[in-house]
Amino acid sequence: MISRKIVALFLLLAFGFPATFAQELPRSSESALNWLKRMADAPRRHNYSGTFVYYADGHIETSRIVHKVDSISERERIEVLDGSPRIVFRNNDEMKCYLPESRRIFTEKRWFRKFFPDILPRPFDNVIDENYYVKEDKLERVTDHQCQVLSLIPRDSLRHGHQFWIDVETGLLLKAAVVNGSEIIEQFAFAQLEIGGEIHSDSLKPNQSMVQEEWKVTDLITSFLKAGELKWQVMNLPAGFKKLVEMKRNLAEKPTLVDHIALSDGLATVSVFIEPITQDAPASLPGFFTSHGAINIYVRILGDNKITTVGEVPLETIKLIGDSVIKKD
Amino acid sequence: MKSKISALMDGELNQRDVSNIIEAIRKDDDLQGEWEAYHLIGDTLRQSSKLSMNISSGVSQRLKAEPTVLSPNISNLEKKLKRKVYAFSVAASVIAMVSAWLVMQNLHEPQQIIMAEQPNYNHNLSIAPIPVSSSLSSPTAIHNHSHPPIEINDYLFVHREFSPGVTMRGQATNVNSVTEYHERYGR
Repeated sequence: MISRKIVALFLLLAFGFPATFAQELPRSSESALNWLKRMADAPRRHNYSGTFVYYADGHIETSRIVHKVDSISERERIEVLDGSPRIVFRNNDEMKCYLPESRRIFTEKRWFRKFFPDILPRPFDNVIDENYYVKEDKLERVTDHQCQVLSLIPRDSLRHGHQFWIDVETGLLLKAAVVNGSEIIEQFAFAQLEIGGEIHSDSLKPNQSMVQEEWKVTDLITSFLKAGELKWQVMNLPAGFKKLVEMKRNLAEKPTLVDHIALSDGLATVSVFIEPITQDAPASLPGFFTSHGAINIYVRILGDNKITTVGEVPLETIKLIGDSVIKKD
Repeated sequence: MKSKISALMDGELNQRDVSNIIEAIRKDDDLQGEWEAYHLIGDTLRQSSKLSMNISSGVSQRLKAEPTVLSPNISNLEKKLKRKVYAFSVAASVIAMVSAWLVMQNLHEPQQIIMAEQPNYNHNLSIAPIPVSSSLSSPTAIHNHSHPPIEINDYLFVHREFSPGVTMRGQATNVNSVTEYHERYGR
């Protein structure tokens, strides 16, 4: 009995561990990639409304979402229900974020980031297979919907793994987790959801009080730049990462504009902010920081500039990207 | 006779009896032993620090006389226990061997971060695998500190674009300094 256990243990150690360490993952199957394609298309095909929960590091945040799609537009309202109120309205790529407590509105003209449950880039292509091995797992029930579970296993150590629970009927993403091996770093999940049905346009508009009162509006982007226009460059981009956009940002009460380079590997996004060190914005010590969930932060000083790299990737990747920022001659 | 020795010790005998009994003890070894035993018992009862007789020689002699048992009679339970201990030690050695082997394997290519196959995107950015070891092996120059720059809140806000799950600007964002970089990554 005992000797059998020892043999089993030995076999597990001898073959199990090297198997998990091996990075040679096969190509993702066609049907697994089709699930992702369905998932990416679903928000363009279905109306939905419900409540979802974000969970990371013991921190929970609940949000209400209303999503309406028709032949010409896609509109959404997301209201954060915990803590300070915050309501985001999206009309195609235009975003407006209302903060009732401080009576401020932040606007974003070109939306390139994705949020739950619409997290895949559009149009979806199979590039994701170059960075992640997509595997069909079991079927599981989430908020009374039968879901196909997909595991996205990173092909290298530069990114986290992901798990998606996709509604079998509509292809909508009902639950998503960012994982590091078997450890869950952060997750989103619907607690209540209605798919289909009519959505009244009024539920996608700001309340009367928001429209009538005087709110301070801040446009977060002042200018998009053509490739290479910025005097900064990320050399040796880590494998699988592509530059999404370069822009000049109007941040808070800062006197100067901040340069912003956004990178993505199809799922994870990394932002590089470059800001001159002035008397008003003194140099802070460089270092590593973490926030909730998968977010990692790396601050570095280069000459008279401060380079802050932020993203949902491992600390090593953040450092790699932050360290490869150079100033063009 | 024993009762007389006891009476002698208690001082209950008259002078003649005392002389007789002392004479008898002197001649008889058994009675001498009896006499010593009574004194030892008395000393022990009085918790005297100095005992009247040296028992160690007797004890060691007794031990020498004991026969050596060459095949100890071990119960089944003890046997099982021994086998378990043996099994665990074997398992532990196996684990140690396999771990050592894994460590050795890792040592061969320890510093390289495994890169995905390089897709050749034709951007103005040059994409090439980077040896990470040199840059990552020396984060000693970077000081981790407990006060994150305040603008990190703004950066997080812009990075996540209002997405749920990130604390908003103006609120106290839970930004922690990573002090255990070395411990987490061991390099």
